[in-house]
Amino acid sequence: MTSLEATAARYVGARVPRVEDPRLLTGHGTFVDDVTRPGMLHACFVRSPFARARLGRIDATVALDLPGVRAVFAAADLNPGVHEQWYTLIGKDVPDTPRPPLAEGEARFVGDPVALVVATDRYVAEDAADLVDVDYEPLPPVVDYTTALAATELVHEAYPGNLAGALGAPMSEDLAAVFGGAAHVTSATIHQQAYAPVPMETRGMVAEWSGDELTVWSATQAPHEVRMFLARLLGIAEHQVRVIMRDTGGAFGQKVLPLREDMCIALAAMRLPAALKWIEDRRENLLAAGMSRHEHGEAQMAFDGDGRILAAHLDHVQDVGAYPTPWPVGTAMAVGLLFPGPYRVPAAGYRTTSLFSNTSGRTAYRGPWQFESVAREVLLDIAARRMGIDPVDLRRRNLLRHDELPHTNPNGMPYSDMTPIETFEQALGMLDHEAFRREQADARATGRYLGMGTCSYAEPTTSAMAFQGTEGATVRIEPSGKVNVYVAGGSTGNSLETAVVQLTADALGVDIADVRTVQGDTAVTPFGAGTGGSRSGSMLAGAVEESTTVLRERIVTIAAHQLEAAPEDIELADSSARVRGTPAVSVPLAEIADIAYFQPHRLPEGVPPGLEVSARYRARSPLIWANATHLCTCEVDPVTGAVTVLRYIVSEDCGPMINPNVVEGQIAGGSVQGIGGVLYEHLAYDEDGNPLTTTFMDYLLPTATEVPVIEYGHIETPSPGPGGYKGVGEGGAIGAPPAVINAVADALSPLGVEITRLPLTPAAVVALIEGAR
Amino acid sequence: MKPAPFDYLAPTTAEEVVSALVELGDTAKVLAGGQSLVPMLALRLAAFDHLVDIGRVAELRGVERRDGALWVGAGTAQATIERSAEVASAVPLLARATPLIGHFQIRNRGTIGGSLVHADPAAEYPAVALALDAGLEVLGPDGRRTVPATEFFIGLWSTAVGEQELLTGVTFPLWDGRCGFAVREFARRHGDFAVAGAAVALELDGDDRVRRCRIALFGLGSTPERATAAEAAVTGAVVGEVDLEEVGRLAMSSLDSVPSDLHGSSAYRRRVGGSMVARALRAAGEEARGR
Repeated sequence: MTSLEATAARYVGARVPRVEDPRLLTGHGTFVDDVTRPGMLHACFVRSPFARARLGRIDATVALDLPGVRAVFAAADLNPGVHEQWYTLIGKDVPDTPRPPLAEGEARFVGDPVALVVATDRYVAEDAADLVDVDYEPLPPVVDYTTALAATELVHEAYPGNLAGALGAPMSEDLAAVFGGAAHVTSATIHQQAYAPVPMETRGMVAEWSGDELTVWSATQAPHEVRMFLARLLGIAEHQVRVIMRDTGGAFGQKVLPLREDMCIALAAMRLPAALKWIEDRRENLLAAGMSRHEHGEAQMAFDGDGRILAAHLDHVQDVGAYPTPWPVGTAMAVGLLFPGPYRVPAAGYRTTSLFSNTSGRTAYRGPWQFESVAREVLLDIAARRMGIDPVDLRRRNLLRHDELPHTNPNGMPYSDMTPIETFEQALGMLDHEAFRREQADARATGRYLGMGTCSYAEPTTSAMAFQGTEGATVRIEPSGKVNVYVAGGSTGNSLETAVVQLTADALGVDIADVRTVQGDTAVTPFGAGTGGSRSGSMLAGAVEESTTVLRERIVTIAAHQLEAAPEDIELADSSARVRGTPAVSVPLAEIADIAYFQPHRLPEGVPPGLEVSARYRARSPLIWANATHLCTCEVDPVTGAVTVLRYIVSEDCGPMINPNVVEGQIAGGSVQGIGGVLYEHLAYDEDGNPLTTTFMDYLLPTATEVPVIEYGHIETPSPGPGGYKGVGEGGAIGAPPAVINAVADALSPLGVEITRLPLTPAAVVALIEGAR
Repeated sequence: MKPAPFDYLAPTTAEEVVSALVELGDTAKVLAGGQSLVPMLALRLAAFDHLVDIGRVAELRGVERRDGALWVGAGTAQATIERSAEVASAVPLLARATPLIGHFQIRNRGTIGGSLVHADPAAEYPAVALALDAGLEVLGPDGRRTVPATEFFIGLWSTAVGEQELLTGVTFPLWDGRCGFAVREFARRHGDFAVAGAAVALELDGDDRVRRCRIALFGLGSTPERATAAEAAVTGAVVGEVDLEEVGRLAMSSLDSVPSDLHGSSAYRRRVGGSMVARALRAAGEEARGR
C-alpha cells in the first residue's frame, strides 16, 4: 500500500531551530575529550623536528623512568600489529600511497610521529616525550613540490620522481587545432597556497580493549568507517569494534578517514590494560593533521570572436605531502573532470600530476577538487579583461541555462537539474550590478579601488559510489508514542539531527518535540557511510522515507481496524491517526503503540506487533548536481594592500531546502573558509621544510570582524533524489575563493594587475601593485 | 601544549614578590595576566621552576593622579584602563591605544605592567610609554628606582627590569594645551599584533605651529623606537603645512632592524609604517587644531 499520501509538510522547509543547539550552546555536548574511563591513560606523540631524517636508535630509558610513564612505543612495537590497511571509502584495489602508523626508517616531515608515549596524564606524557632520545640523521628534504619531479632526493624510495601518480594527458592535437584557430586564446598558470580544514575541535580518540571488544570514542565524520577500518587494521572481527561519537566540533574532510595517529592509538590500546586517550593539540593539528589546496595549474581557454568558449585545457599539479589521505590521485581527477564548469565548453582536456614532498600530507578538505573553480574562474576574468569585455558579459555568453540540461561536459560529466545562468543573474540582481559599476567608477575617480568578482560552479553531490550508495534508518515508535530515529550519524556540526527529526516528524504526523534521534554509535544504529561528499541531506531523507513508509502503512492498518474505516481514508496528523475530513474520529498514536506492543490480540490479521521498522535507501542516481554563484565586492587599500570585503552574495540551488537555516549555515561556513583561504590562511613552510604556522598567532583564520554578513538567494530546482533535495555541505568552500580573488583583481585592474598567485596577503597585494607599475 | 612542571607562588605584597625573586633567582618568573607567558609555557618555548603570581598584590593596581602626573599600577588590567574616565581625560594616547590590544577577553586578563615588561616590539603600550616619556617604577632588593621609558626597552623582549626586580607602576606626564593624540596601526586582523604602527602626540602653539611632537613606532624594530628626525621636521612647522607622507618616509629612514616575516618584508613594513605615521599625524593634528 505505497499509495499512502505523505502527511502535510509542517516542519520540512521551515526554519526549525536546531535540536542540537540547546545542549551545544549550554556546554552539554559530549566531545571525545569529555570521555573519561576508569584508569584511563594519556598519549603524546614524539614528532620529528626534521623535514627529512634517517631514524636511528630510539632510546626511551630516561622517559620510562619518569614517574607516571607506562609505555613508550616505537614503529617496531606498533607497526607489525597492522593486518590490513585500506579505507572502505576508497576500496582496497587502488595503488595506495604509504601510511605507516609510526615513521619507519625515515622521518618524512616536521611533525612525523616517530614514537608514542603513554602516561597517567597528558602533562607527564609531554614531559616524557621530551625525554625520548631519538637518533636523527638529517637528510636533504624535498620541500617545494613544483621542483619535486626533477629532485634527486626522494620522499619515498619506491616513487621515482616523487610521482604519486598522474592521470589525463597533455593537450591533444585535436584540441591544439581548436586553440590554433581561435580568435582569442588565454592562458595563465595559477598557484594556490596550502591551507587546511582547521576544525574547532582537533582530532582525538579514546580506545579501550576489553580482551574481547574494542570500544573507540572518536572525533570522526564516519563512525562505521572507523569501525571497519580498525577491525581490518587490528585483525579482529567487525562486530568486536564499537565506535561511538556524540558531538564532533567540525571536520571538513579532515576526519573523514582515520589517519596515522588514530591507527597508533588503536594499536597501542590493544596492548594496554586501560583506555588510552589522545587529544590532538592545536600545534599538532597545524603540524600534522594534513594540508590541502596546495596546487597549481596551467589553465587555457580558446574563444571565438564573440567571446564564446571553444575549448579548455588544464594541466594541474598538486602537492600531496609525505603521507596523503586518501589516495590523492583519484581526487585530483575530479579537478580535471570539473574544470569546464557550468559553461558551454565544446572541447576540453586535462592532465593532473600528484607529487610528494616532505611536508604534512594532503587530506580531504570541503570540496577537495575546488581548484577547478579557482583555475577556471580566475582565467575567465583574465580572459575577459584581455578581450576588453566585462567579466559579467563573458559569463552571460557562456553559462548554461536550466533548459539546456541535461548536458554532458566534454570530460564526461553528466550535468542535470542545475541553474547556472539563473543563479548568476539572481546574484547580480541582489547586488545591482549596474549600480555597483557606477559606484566603482566614482570611487576610482577619487583614488579608491573597489571591485567585484564572481564564481559559478557545478558541484557533484551525493555520490552513490560503493559504500556511500545506501543509507539506513531505524524508526521506533516507543510504547508511549514517542519516536526515536536511529541513523549512522557522523554529524560534525552539519545539523543531521535536526534534519532527521524534521523529516520524521512530518512523515509520521507527530509534533517535532516528540521525535528524538540517536546517531553515532555503531552498536546501536544502522550501518551508514557518515558525512562527506555532501551526501547526508539526500541520503538521510531517503532512509527516513523508506522506514517511515513501512511504519505509516502499519499505523494506518491498525488505526483503520480500530476506527472501522478504510485505510485509504486514514491520515496521520497531530500525533494521531484520524479519518480524513472527520478529525474527531481518531485514535492517538500512543494508543496504537500500546496495542502494537502490549495488546497484540487487538491487531488486525497479518500485522506484526511493535512499531519499529528498519529500512535502507538505495541512491536513485549516481550523482546529484548542485550549483551556485558567489559574488563578492571589496575595497583595496593601495597603501597597505588590505582587502576589505564589502558585500558577499550567494545565489545557490540545492533543490528544495529541508531547513533554510541549515542550508545558509553550511554556505556561510564554507564561504568563510574560502574567504580565509584567499586572504588569511596559509600553512607555510620555510625552504628547509620547517613549518612557520603552528599556532593561531601565525595561521590566521578569518574571524567575525573580517567577514561580512552573507546574503543568500535561493533557487530550488528539484533533483531526482528523495524530496528533490541536493547536497550543500561543500559548495561554499568551492565558490568563495574565486569570487574573492576576482573581486580584488577587478579592484586593481586600472593598475594593470593580474592575479595568479595566492594568498592575497596585504604584502602580496602591495607587491602586485608595485610590480604592475 | 601542557607546560612543564612548576611551583606556584602567590604573594600579596610587592616586597614579598621581590623577596621571592631574590631567593629563587632565574628559576622564577613573574606571572601577571599571563596572556603571553602562559602560551609560551604551554608551547614549552619557556619553562620556569617557579611562577610568582602578582595577581593578589593589591598595591600594584589602580589609576590615580600623583604629583601632576597620572600613575597607573603595573598590575592594572588593560580593560580597567580602557574603561577609566581618568585615563581618557588625562592620558588620551594611553586610552586610545588600549582597544587595539588583542581582544576584550585578553584585555580582561592582560595588565599594563605585563605588556611593558614583556616588551613585544609590536605591542602598543611600550610605544605609548616611549612617546609620552613615561617613568617606570621598579622595586628591587635595594629599593625603588624610576627608569625613564627611553632607557627601559633595551632589546627584543628585554627591559631594564632586573631578574630580582618588579615593575610596580607607570607614571605618565600630563600634556596640557592644544594637544592631539593618535595611534594608528595596521594588523592582519582585528586584535593581531601590529605589522607596523605609530603613536603620536602633538602640541600646538596659538598659531598652529607644532611646539612639541612625539612619534613612537612599533612593529618596526627589535624595540619600540622614537622617530626623532621626523619629530624634528615637524616641530616648529605649521601643522596644516606639513607634508605628512614625507614625514612618514623620514620616520622610516633611520630604522635599521625592521623585521621581516610571513606577514611582510622589511620593505613592506616600512611602507605601512610610513603610512601609519602620516595617518596618526593627520589625526593628532586635526584634534589639536580643534582645541
